[in-house]
Amino acid sequence: MSTVLQLKNVTKAFGEMRALDGIDLALPGDAYISLLGPSGSGKTTLLRVIAGFEDPDGGSIVFDGKRIDTVAPHQRGIGFVFQNFALFPHLSVAQNIAFGLENREVDAVTDRRVVERRVKDIIALVGLSGLEGRAVTQISGGQRQRVALARTLVTEPRMVLLDEPLGALDANLRARMRTELRAIRERCGVTFLHVTGSETEALAMGDTVLVLDRGRIAQSADSDTIYNRPASPAVARFLNCYNLFPGRLEVGAFVGSAGRFSLGSRPASRATQPAYAIRYDRVAVRPREAAIGDDEVRVEGNFVASEYSGAAVNSFFTLDDGRVFEVETHLSHAAPETYEDQGRYALVWKREDALVYA
Amino acid sequence: MSMMAIAEQTEAETVTERKPGGKALWLLAPGVLWMVLFLVLPMLMMVYVSFWTQTTFKIEPTLTLKSWVTFFTSDTYLGALWTTVRIWLIVLVSTVLVGYPAALYVGLFVKNKALQTVLLVLCVIPFWTSFLIRVLAWRPMLGKEGAINMILMNLGITDAPIEVLLFSELSVIIGMTQIYCVFMVGPIAFMLGRIDHSVIEAAQDLGAGFWRIFRTIILPLSMPGVVVGAIFVSVMVLGEFATSAALSGRKVNLLGNIIVTQVGSLKWAFAAVAGVVLTILMGAVIAALLRVVDLRKEL
Repeated sequence: MSTVLQLKNVTKAFGEMRALDGIDLALPGDAYISLLGPSGSGKTTLLRVIAGFEDPDGGSIVFDGKRIDTVAPHQRGIGFVFQNFALFPHLSVAQNIAFGLENREVDAVTDRRVVERRVKDIIALVGLSGLEGRAVTQISGGQRQRVALARTLVTEPRMVLLDEPLGALDANLRARMRTELRAIRERCGVTFLHVTGSETEALAMGDTVLVLDRGRIAQSADSDTIYNRPASPAVARFLNCYNLFPGRLEVGAFVGSAGRFSLGSRPASRATQPAYAIRYDRVAVRPREAAIGDDEVRVEGNFVASEYSGAAVNSFFTLDDGRVFEVETHLSHAAPETYEDQGRYALVWKREDALVYA
Repeated sequence: MSMMAIAEQTEAETVTERKPGGKALWLLAPGVLWMVLFLVLPMLMMVYVSFWTQTTFKIEPTLTLKSWVTFFTSDTYLGALWTTVRIWLIVLVSTVLVGYPAALYVGLFVKNKALQTVLLVLCVIPFWTSFLIRVLAWRPMLGKEGAINMILMNLGITDAPIEVLLFSELSVIIGMTQIYCVFMVGPIAFMLGRIDHSVIEAAQDLGAGFWRIFRTIILPLSMPGVVVGAIFVSVMVLGEFATSAALSGRKVNLLGNIIVTQVGSLKWAFAAVAGVVLTILMGAVIAALLRVVDLRKEL
């Protein structure tokens, strides 16, 4: 796959705050890429630097074989879909979509019939037929999202940046638009860079997932790798599915305030801070007195509460060092168990399932 | 019979339901009373007086069209009407030309909200002095031996003082533009400040250059501000008499000046005719401006 966008050592600071601290990345053409980062990790800044709304302090941005970091945003040919959609409030749906074709500085389309035909095609593509003449204030959130997307896609950019595009929609619509967005992208054959703070959205949508941590790319991999082998404790934390313990590595064991966990054969990953991570759904809850196997690790905790979400139930325990420990039990094969309030249980997992960073 | 009883009952219910609305209407009473007593009645009175018979020293309530005929056949009065309309249009255009760029800067390019407020307050500072002083201050500025002529001559740009600067229509226009410009800047800056910045970025991203964005996005979105500003300026300029009196050396007579002199010489009927004409003119101007933009939709 050819590289459509390449960033080398891009930096950007606001005062003392380093929003982008040396970003290196290469994005392939014709792919769906999601960029996951907690708020404040610099993800919106990164997108705005690529689009040209912010100037980077250093580094280079190469798009489509050309350096673009000094090119004005309206000459970059990169589409941007805003979180709040940023539709032109005084124009109708069709006029909003036609705006780029009619008004762009480079290669504007002057033939009204060509504009009408292309607007009609893109309206059909995003599923807005019948709403052409509506004011953008008179349509629903999901429809506005489609207008914003159509408005960008009709100008045929080689790449589209989406800044938390589903953030303004309600949960139901969000799930539907996910599939829709992927389908639309496949039909257009361009690269989508989708920024999100939601780990499920990032994993579900991206062919490649980038994880941003404090202005740096912490990991870049496919969803499965990100989920099962997070590159650092920070990535594991953003994924919101790992119990993390700080501590230190000793011979054959990881020692932290929660106890001493014996290690399996898996080598430890490199990280700046030693940490021990175990996925929520790899943990079993057993009575205190139950014996454990040779390859198992055990810690005790008091049951606090549980949260039922249909397919799974998440139970929360406090460990002796005050840390909250979460266990996710899938209900496809088991009925939900009831635990005694403040009751003490053994939380057990296989040594091999844990990830160790040192 | 029972049907009728039901119908009556429903009617009674609707009446009870409406009662809160009826009570709420009383909130309008003080305002309505005030406006009727001090606005509507005097205006009707003015229309009525314009048909009274005016003799040199007296006015009698005998109805006649004489004052109206005099007004519309006299070159002085028609000239004043024409001057009023001309000066109003010129000042309106010049306040937009001077005010819009300033508003554009304050409302769109100043990102800091506090600085925005400071700049708008700066526009209002001239209003801390009295109207008369502001108007009269233009005399030492524009006069034959005034600041502007002195500077121009000392720099060698002109040989003789430019006399047209003071006591001319130009000086009235300069003075009025300065005084009323802020009423144009305020509403436009307010509307520009309300434009979501990402909308402009979106237009940029779609490939439009600055002038294109200005014409297709910024200008249409700020039109309500221009219309509100134009209404402010129009109402004040059309009713003006002080600026023209002080800066034109009585060469420029607006309808306002006519009213002042007529009232001064106790010609109430003529003054009333001029007043009615001026009121109708203002009403027409406001109605026309409101047609440009649907303010109810925008504000």
